[in-house]
Amino acid sequence: MLEIKGVETGYGKLKILRGIDMSVPDHSVVALLGGNGTGKSTLLKAISGLLPVWKGEIILDGRPIHNISPHEIVKAGLVQVTQGKDSYPGMTVEENLLLGAYTRSDNAAVKSGLEMVYSFFPDLKDRRRQVAGLLSGGQVQMLVIGRGLMAAPKMIMLDEPSAALAPLVVLDIFKQINRIRRETSMTILVVEQNVRMALLLAEYGYVIHDGRIHVEGKADEMIDNDRVRNAYLGGTVAGTTEALDAA
Amino acid sequence: MLLDFLVVGLSIGLVYGLVALGISLIYSGLDIVHFAHGEVFMFGAFFGLVLFNDIGFSYPVTLFTAMILTGIMGVVIERVFYRRLTKQGGGYTVAGMGMIICGFGMAIILQNIAYLIWGAEGHAINVSFGMPLQLGEIALPRSYLWILVVSVGLMAVLHLGLKHTKLGRAIRAVAANKDIAYLMGINVPLMISLIFCVACGLAAAGGVLIGPINYVQVEMGYLILIKAFAAAVVGGFGSLPGAVLGGLLVGVFETMGAAYISGSHKDIYAFLLLIFVLMVRPTGLMGTLAKVKA
Repeated sequence: MLEIKGVETGYGKLKILRGIDMSVPDHSVVALLGGNGTGKSTLLKAISGLLPVWKGEIILDGRPIHNISPHEIVKAGLVQVTQGKDSYPGMTVEENLLLGAYTRSDNAAVKSGLEMVYSFFPDLKDRRRQVAGLLSGGQVQMLVIGRGLMAAPKMIMLDEPSAALAPLVVLDIFKQINRIRRETSMTILVVEQNVRMALLLAEYGYVIHDGRIHVEGKADEMIDNDRVRNAYLGGTVAGTTEALDAA
Repeated sequence: MLLDFLVVGLSIGLVYGLVALGISLIYSGLDIVHFAHGEVFMFGAFFGLVLFNDIGFSYPVTLFTAMILTGIMGVVIERVFYRRLTKQGGGYTVAGMGMIICGFGMAIILQNIAYLIWGAEGHAINVSFGMPLQLGEIALPRSYLWILVVSVGLMAVLHLGLKHTKLGRAIRAVAANKDIAYLMGINVPLMISLIFCVACGLAAAGGVLIGPINYVQVEMGYLILIKAFAAAVVGGFGSLPGAVLGGLLVGVFETMGAAYISGSHKDIYAFLLLIFVLMVRPTGLMGTLAKVKA
C-alpha cells in the first residue's frame, strides 16, 4: 500500500528526517513509535504532502506521491487523522464530519458514511449540532477519527490518538479503532507514544529516533523487547540504571 | 428629516459594510490586511462608469459585469503578488512587513494607473432612476433603494453561501486552519483565490452602487478605505457580521453628525466612533479575543 524509501526532510535548513525506510502492506496495521521531537509528526507531514520531501520517495499503490499537493493525496485515498486539538472548534460536529467528506460528491454515500461514523461513535450523534469546541478530549478524538473516515480512504494515518487522554478513554478509542479495522479492513498507520497500546493493535512496529528508524519488527515480539524500551523510552528507571551501569 | 438622514446613513453604511466585508474576508482567509482594497473599490466604480456611460449597458448588467471584472482583477492581484510573498513566508500566513508594504505599494500603483487611464476629473454614473419613492413622510431616492436592496441581497447570499453550502464550509475551513483544510482534501490555493475574488467583487458592487450619488474619481479609494477600516475595527476585525454592523454604525453616525453638528467635519465622526468603541470594547463590538474562526 505505502512504501517509504530513504525519505529526508526538515524545516528551513534544519534536517529532521535522515533517511526513513518503511513499508505498510495492504490491510495491515503498522505502528510508528517514538518520543517527543523524534520526527514522527514530521514524517506524517511529509507523507501527507504538507512538507516537501528533500530526498527519497513515497509511493502509494505504485504511484509516487511525494511533492504533490496535499489535497491530491487525499483524493488518492490516503488520509491523515490529526490530533484532537486540530478539529474545527468553531464548527458543529456534523460540519466537521462533512468537511471530511469534501472530496466525495455522491451525496447518498456521504450520508451513509455519516451513519457509519455515528454507529462507531454514538456520542457524536447526540452532539452533532454542538460546536466541536465544547466536546471533551475523548469526544474530539472520536470526531477527528470519524472525520478521517468520512473521506472513505483506502488508508488512514492516526496521529497520536492517545495524546492527552485519560487511560480509560484511550482504551475506548483503541477498541473503536480495532473495530473500524475489523469492519472496514482499512490499512492503518498509527503514530504513538503509548507503545504498549499501539503494539497491541498493530502487526508490525517501527521505532523512530533522531530522524532514523532504530528498531523494527513484529509487534508481538517487540512488546517485551528491552531494546524497544530503551530506544523509545530512554528515561524509565530501568533504562536509566542500565545506561549508568554501562557507563 | 430624521428618517431621511437615517436612510441616507444606512445606505452609505451598507456601502462601507460591503468594502469592510471584503477586508474582513481577506483578513480571516489569509491573515493579511489588504491595504489596496480601497483602490479595488475605485476600480470597480470606474469599470461601472465605463460600462454604463460609454458602452451603454443597463444598470443591473453594469453592476454584475463590474463585479465579475473586479473579481478577476482580485484573483490576478492575489496570484501574481500576494502568493509569492506568502510562499516565501513558508505557507499562507503573513510574511512580516512585506505584505503591508506590498499592499500600500499596490494602492499607489493602482491609483496611478487609474489616473493615467481616466484622469483626475470626477464623473458620475449617469443613471436616471426616475422619481423618488414616496413612503409616507420620506421621499426615498431610488438610487438609495438600489443600495439598500442590492447590498442586503449580496450580504444575505454571502451569509447563506458560507453557512450552508459545501463550498462555504470549505472557505470557512481554509479561514480557520489551512493545513487541516488541506488534509480534508480542499484545494487551499484555489479557495484563497476565490476569497479574493468574492472580496473584490463586493467592493466593486459598493463602487457601482455609490457611483450615481458620488463622483467616481481616483481619490475615492483611500477615503473609503479608512472608513471601511473604521467600520471593520468597530465591528471587530475579521468578523463578517461585525463588518456589516460597523459599516452601518459608521454610516449613520457620520450622516447624523454632518446633519446635526457640522457638515464640514463629516469625515471626523467615523473616527470619534472608532475611538469610543475601542475605549469601551477593545476587540470591537463583535470581535473575540481568541481566534476561533468559522
